[in-house]
Amino acid sequence: MKPFNSLLLILVVTIAVLLISPFLGLNSSTNPDIQQHILTQLRIPRILFAFIAGAGLAVCGMVFQAMFRNPLATPFTLGVASGASLGAALYVVLGFSFSIMSIDGSTFSAFIGSLITISFVYSISRLRSGFSSETLLLTGVAISFFFSSLILFTQYMSNISDSFQILRWLMGSLTTVGYRDVLQLLPFVSVCIGVILWLSRELNLLMAGDDIALSRGLAVQKTRYLLFFVTSLCVGAIVALCGPIGFIGMMVPHMCRLLIGSDHSWLTPATLLFGGCFLIICDTIARLIIAPAEIPVGVITTLIGGPFFLWLLIKSRNKSF
Amino acid sequence: MNGILNVHQLHVEVASKILISDISFDINQGDYLCILGPNGAGKSTLLKALMGIVKTTSGEITLNQQPLSQLSQKMRAQHISYVPQAHGRQVNFSVIDFIKMGRFPYHSAFSDWTLADKQAMDRAIDITKIADFLSRQMQTLSGGESQRVMIAAALCQQTPLLLLDEPTSFLDPHHQVEMHQLIRQLNQQHNISIIEVSHDLNHAAHHSKHILALKHGKILWYGPSAEILKTSHLQALYDQQFVFTAHPQTGAMVALPCELAGEIS
Repeated sequence: MKPFNSLLLILVVTIAVLLISPFLGLNSSTNPDIQQHILTQLRIPRILFAFIAGAGLAVCGMVFQAMFRNPLATPFTLGVASGASLGAALYVVLGFSFSIMSIDGSTFSAFIGSLITISFVYSISRLRSGFSSETLLLTGVAISFFFSSLILFTQYMSNISDSFQILRWLMGSLTTVGYRDVLQLLPFVSVCIGVILWLSRELNLLMAGDDIALSRGLAVQKTRYLLFFVTSLCVGAIVALCGPIGFIGMMVPHMCRLLIGSDHSWLTPATLLFGGCFLIICDTIARLIIAPAEIPVGVITTLIGGPFFLWLLIKSRNKSF
Repeated sequence: MNGILNVHQLHVEVASKILISDISFDINQGDYLCILGPNGAGKSTLLKALMGIVKTTSGEITLNQQPLSQLSQKMRAQHISYVPQAHGRQVNFSVIDFIKMGRFPYHSAFSDWTLADKQAMDRAIDITKIADFLSRQMQTLSGGESQRVMIAAALCQQTPLLLLDEPTSFLDPHHQVEMHQLIRQLNQQHNISIIEVSHDLNHAAHHSKHILALKHGKILWYGPSAEILKTSHLQALYDQQFVFTAHPQTGAMVALPCELAGEIS
């Protein structure tokens, strides 16, 4: 299939998902007023949020895969999402309360958490040249565990209401999002995706390897720092609002690459649409599967993502990206 | 000083380990320089320093009388292109997408493909004869095909200077001859100056104009290529005895490494 046709297909599916998903599971109440309220005040903002967050996570995952030249490297697997979660949890526990231009301080502390983690993982990967991708991933796993325990620790030390809030940053969930969250998230994700769309040629070169990229005239280091910055911002904003939703950033770009090829001028729009669509589907499953109760959407994505990760690990062994 | 590239007392140190030191040479338009030397002598480091992949510690490289350190990486890529050692099959792109990247130095974000881009690509595809497998994935190519694609991508940069790092290392004899022919064609017909790292000293002696012999990061010998066979420098360079004989077909002098004494019955 030509990239254009594949992209068109993804677009049609996305529109269909956006139109159908709000009405699934709506018949539990017969009162039309209540239905109306559920639809406009709960369902629609939640689906909009899922689309934006899914798109952001998927595109950030795609950028990590290209930069580290490894299909298993994503903000989630490298511990960056845990860093963001820890940042947000510390914000709550330490009792900070501020907002800049009506954007909540937890977003900024999550951003700082993810930026510090990216810098750390990257310096580890640069420590010795020819560091294997296994080492990189193990570093990520170690960081994830370490930060998760720190989050548990802060949760243990905090009072009941903070503790409940912190739970969100251990397992991603979209249960509580509203229009306000959509508006908080939108600017960060749009700026991030805008920059990444603008850098599609640069991403192609990074994926070809540093030596090739430099010899084609790309200022590799500068581009990498810019990408670290915008992905931290994006992951931080998403994690602060809905917690770490795992594996979207690994599965979606990989499937899109199989469908559309590695050229980022096609891959980025495909990943953003499919990522948004995928999180909506997962969230719809999460709220329907044991209805009227709900499970966190992070459980669903991790249930699908775990086996996918293993499959990728076995498939890509001894084969470079 | 004239010529397109002047290297003056180049010195590269990584983590306080000296990789190359006190390297000086000049490249004029149409030159063909072969860099010979044992493994670990700093040959690849020298190419990478010229391309800006490895940072130089001291010394000066000037490109058309302009210090290289003042040029952006993009400007540098308009003057120098580089083919790394056997890299092609580690890339997950189709051949045509990979070649397109060679036009990166001439583009800013979102700028459209121009006629000049298309002409440069068509010309590169034509010279390297890769038109038959443009839609294939890089990972599926044979060693010879992949090396031709790597050169085509570098040719898309339309640079007056091309750096080649062991372009024939992993090729069979037939493809080695073919690759040497392609390099000579680029040099003679298309007037591209070439710096090639090679272990094929007979090829270097007969086809290049100058040879720069590196050992332990320093220049051991630098001069017109044919003369390397007349001196004892080959032995000093590789710590290996050579015998010299005439090629039965061409009559040209060739160097053959001596067998180790113990192996001769």
